[in-house]
Amino acid sequence: MVYRAHILISGDAACIAKGARDVEAALWEAVQELNLKDEVQILEVSSLGHSDQGPEIVIYPDGTDYVNLTPEDAKFIIEEHLLKGRPVERLTYREPPSLPLPPPSEKEVRVVLENVGKIDPENIEDYIAMDGYMALGKVLGEMTPEEVIEELKISGLRGRGGAGFPTWLKWTLARNAPGDMKYVICNGDEGDPGAFMNRSVLEGDPHSVIEGMAIAAYAIGASQGYFYVRAEYPIAIQTLRAAIKQARDYGLLGEHIFGADFSFDLEVRMGAGAFVCGEETALMQSIEGARGMPRTRPPYPATAGLWGNPTNINNVETYANVPKIIHKGGSWFASMGTDKSKGTKTFAIAGKVERTGLIEVPLGMTIREIVYDVGGGVLGGKKFKAVQTGGPMGGCIPEQYLDLPVDYEHLKEVGSMMGSGGFVVMDEDTCMVDIARFFMEFTQDESCGKCVPCRVGTRRMLEILNRICAGEGRPGDIETLEELAVYIRDGSLCGLGQGAPNPVLSTLQYFRDEYEAHIYDKTCPAKVCKGLIEYKINPEACIGCTRCARNCPVNAIEGKPKQTHVIDADICIRCGVCKQVCPVDAVYVE
Amino acid sequence: MSEIHLTINGKPVVAQSGQTILEAAKQADIDIPVLCHHPALANWGACRMCLVEVKGMRGLQTSCTCPATEGMEVETETEKVVAVRKFVLELLFSERNHYCMYCQMSGDCELQDLAYRYGLDHWTYPRPFEKMEVDASRKYFIMDPNRCILCSRCIRACSEIAANHTLGLRDRGARTMVVADLDVPFGESTCVECGTCLQVCPTGALIDAKSAYGGREKDVIHTQTTCMQCSVGCDLDVVTRYQRLLRVDGVWESEPSGGLLCVDGRFKPLYEKRQRVTGPLVRKDGKLVAAGWNEALGIVAEKLQSGSCQGLAYCATTDEALTAFARLFAKVDGAAGRIEPQVAPLGFGQVAKVQDVLDADVIIVTGAQPLEYQRVIGYFIHRAADQGAQVAVITDDENGLSARAAMTLTSAEAGKAVETAAGAGKVVVVYGTEIKPEVIAALKPLGDEAYILALDPARNAQGATAAGLQPQEPSDVDVLYFLLGEQSEDAALLAKVNGAFKIVQAAYHSPLVDQADVVLPTPIWVERTGHVTNLDGSAKPLHAALLMPENVRDEAEALAALADMIG
Ligand SMILES: Cc1cc2nc3c(=O)[nH]c(=O)nc-3n(C[C@H](O)[C@H](O)[C@H](O)COP(=O)(O)O)c2cc1C
Ligand code: SF4
Ligand code: SF4
Ligand code: SF4
Repeated sequence: MVYRAHILISGDAACIAKGARDVEAALWEAVQELNLKDEVQILEVSSLGHSDQGPEIVIYPDGTDYVNLTPEDAKFIIEEHLLKGRPVERLTYREPPSLPLPPPSEKEVRVVLENVGKIDPENIEDYIAMDGYMALGKVLGEMTPEEVIEELKISGLRGRGGAGFPTWLKWTLARNAPGDMKYVICNGDEGDPGAFMNRSVLEGDPHSVIEGMAIAAYAIGASQGYFYVRAEYPIAIQTLRAAIKQARDYGLLGEHIFGADFSFDLEVRMGAGAFVCGEETALMQSIEGARGMPRTRPPYPATAGLWGNPTNINNVETYANVPKIIHKGGSWFASMGTDKSKGTKTFAIAGKVERTGLIEVPLGMTIREIVYDVGGGVLGGKKFKAVQTGGPMGGCIPEQYLDLPVDYEHLKEVGSMMGSGGFVVMDEDTCMVDIARFFMEFTQDESCGKCVPCRVGTRRMLEILNRICAGEGRPGDIETLEELAVYIRDGSLCGLGQGAPNPVLSTLQYFRDEYEAHIYDKTCPAKVCKGLIEYKINPEACIGCTRCARNCPVNAIEGKPKQTHVIDADICIRCGVCKQVCPVDAVYVE
Repeated sequence: MSEIHLTINGKPVVAQSGQTILEAAKQADIDIPVLCHHPALANWGACRMCLVEVKGMRGLQTSCTCPATEGMEVETETEKVVAVRKFVLELLFSERNHYCMYCQMSGDCELQDLAYRYGLDHWTYPRPFEKMEVDASRKYFIMDPNRCILCSRCIRACSEIAANHTLGLRDRGARTMVVADLDVPFGESTCVECGTCLQVCPTGALIDAKSAYGGREKDVIHTQTTCMQCSVGCDLDVVTRYQRLLRVDGVWESEPSGGLLCVDGRFKPLYEKRQRVTGPLVRKDGKLVAAGWNEALGIVAEKLQSGSCQGLAYCATTDEALTAFARLFAKVDGAAGRIEPQVAPLGFGQVAKVQDVLDADVIIVTGAQPLEYQRVIGYFIHRAADQGAQVAVITDDENGLSARAAMTLTSAEAGKAVETAAGAGKVVVVYGTEIKPEVIAALKPLGDEAYILALDPARNAQGATAAGLQPQEPSDVDVLYFLLGEQSEDAALLAKVNGAFKIVQAAYHSPLVDQADVVLPTPIWVERTGHVTNLDGSAKPLHAALLMPENVRDEAEALAALADMIG
């Protein structure tokens, strides 16, 4: 029997003491229940390496490592990971957190992250000691709302949550919109896979965001604000709640702040778990208690937002910049960055790069500088192939643009976008068709289902991409993909659908030959797509150490000690473990 | 509201500020296709059929949501727009099972119409859909998700019009499904079977069990009449074909209910099980046997003049019949009255119309169970509550409205409702026959500002009142004449009937009919002409959608004939 996936569960004493047997039973039960027993194999192994965090399982082929599991988690993982194909991030093994943030590399400039890791987020006095709430004091004591907006205009700050809309203009629209009740909202939904920029700020420097929101509220004339934070960030939520309480205790939230004729308070709402809830109108629906589904604009939130009232919504990072701008002046902020993209931006560098993690750099830094100087270069000295920016609705930028300045305009020009700061480096071993397929899988799954082009169109695109990656591509597929992409982009209701075709369009633009290789030559040039590759053992090189056979999760490798080993392609699930463990590099991909 | 000027497809159009492009276009007779949009529902913007190009605006705009503004230049059928519409249709046809040949909606389907309009002549995309289970757990209508296009009309109808919030969506992306409550079978859900969702569904996804495959729009006849199942008197659109009753729809933009109906008006009358009285009957040798009208009326006329008599009517017939009934008994010096109890006026406040419930700020309900007996009023109260109205139910028993009321009070606590109403804007008191005197006294301080809606338990109570028929009990007379119409007597009445000579005018057989000495048939609601006066006090017209059976005569006419015979 050929299994699609294999679950290894650690059977060491420590894990068993912590309930590994119950977890195993729950796994079995869930597999039965969801009718996966012919597709998924569960194997107990002696240890998986993190028995201090047991019960632990590892799921192959992708090798996701889950720790600290309960039986409920086990069931959830089967549903999410194996049925829906979405690894459950909150349960995966993470390197122990390394706060304080590692010191910035030479080229980094920390504005938003300045305090992160330096101050105790649970202690408001730490923040105040770093000039915290000075800006709010200044605004309430000395500045009119118009002056606040003018300062933002000078700063050139643009929204950090996606489209880069000028923040001063957004605030002006909300300020000018007629209405007695106005709101400010902080978008902390951060749903892009692999993104954690906003989380770091919320967990490390919550008061900077609170202060930024209070200033925004003053500028537009709001008295109530909401934090919308994804439920997967329990620590951020807890930190925020504590910070809000402290701010209230210090009179920095509530009635007559700093004795001024300005009252403002904040509430934290937990995200509903769907990616689309980060879209501003869906987010407001969700706060209102409805299913988070985007609605058409106009009217924009600035005129008709939360409960139909004028509302300003900004990203966490946008707000976190505000106190700094007020405190140090708009021109200080504008001195960083490029002509139209001012200030700094945080990115989560990930993928095939030496130093992954959170960075903050002035806008306009080139891709090359970010990858090589800040990120330490491509992992293992491999060749740079592309960088994917902008999250699931972004695009892949090829090597020829290594010297492209990273700012709103330039990213857009080459078919990608800034998004919230995803920055995934890809090396020569990355298959661009597979990458496009990966993102399409994500967006089609996260489509809220409201509008037809996105709900149905992304599905049709994914089916084609799946076929191509499985070696069943047909002539005409590329053209159909292009047609679908354009119509979905033009016809969808919200940014999710409008942006969903981007990864495909940009890879088609720059890596069309890879699509063609998949379709016409039935090869995957990067040797990634499982339907198009085979693992083989070079008999000349094999020393018969048996290591591959022992590590193969599906026992696809046969061979006696000291004799050449052979992989049975029918059983092999192309997990690549053998290639990783072979001491003499005898395993190769064909 | 001010006038604005725009051009649509080069044509100058005048619209009101606040109108959408779609509304402006409609006024100017420019047809923009829609699927998820429905004029009775809030705009949704999901299906993308109504996309248009607006000069100066980025991307395409959904005309159903985009406000028309001064100077706007709109194009509704550009190449780009048409291409996207066609694309959307192609996707919808690839999403689920739309083999129209086997669909009961074929010919009347809004999706199919648009497919013809935009020239879909082949399947463009593969159709990897899986068969989904049909849900037939409700008696009157069926949900076939295989034909559903997820337009959410049904969901919005359920929430916005019926205020019932049963329907919703589950999951995301391609797995999105319309479900009831937390995904239970419809028949086990909180659905009240008002059928509003059924009426708004553009495709063959929601199917009426009775009329399915019974005829397409081009084959059927529509007759507008008034519902006679309760005193609300909603407008009905009765659909028939070849003298067969197919379906009942609500009438949008009509008073009092604006298109909303309830299970009693829309469905139940189509499933009538009682045996019809199809012609006059007279008792001969102890047995009821068929007779001609002349013979039967002759006996009745003679009996009415030969001794003391009393006429008792259920308020279940037309204004004309009730008036003729009162007149007849005046002529023979008999007493005449209505059988059902009557709600007494409260002695304060101004008379409310049904629609007043909708924009009330405070609604006080007492002595009535609208969710059971005047359901549309119950739904209206829910709707008002959704809009923020405070609902106070004053009752010493159970009341279905309590579940979503701001407060449920005992009679002794009625004063609290008055406190809530103090300074609260528009206050509507909805009450029925069960109202307690102490509650009336407690509510009195509401004064004449308050709107009062009396829910008379009888269907055509106002018609009876206008005819001068007051509640009466059967008395000790020689001849008792019962005008039942479609209402079969209740046991209490039957128990009070004495050994008098009994004339019963009724549509259906019942114990009382079977005891009668003379039985006269009556038409039923779909066969009626004339008027019925609803609790708004408007005499609403009745139009016959079906012919009466051959030997049935309208009550008003039969009663007039009797009066003539008596001379
Ligand atoms: C599908 C989708 C998801 C989004 N998710 C987020 C998010 O997680 N965080 C965020 O700040 N903005 C997100 N946005 C962008 C928001 O709609 C909105 O533009 C943003 O919050 C505005 O803030 P800004 O002006 O500060 O950038 C998302 C947009 C779309 C279309
Ligand atoms: S584009 Fe996608 S996510 Fe956005 S409204 Fe449409 S279906 Fe929902
Ligand atoms: S719902 Fe409409 S389009 Fe679908 S099968 Fe029925 S008639 Fe055809
Ligand atoms: S059942 Fe009908 S009304 Fe409801 S979403 Fe489906 S197609 Fe639309």
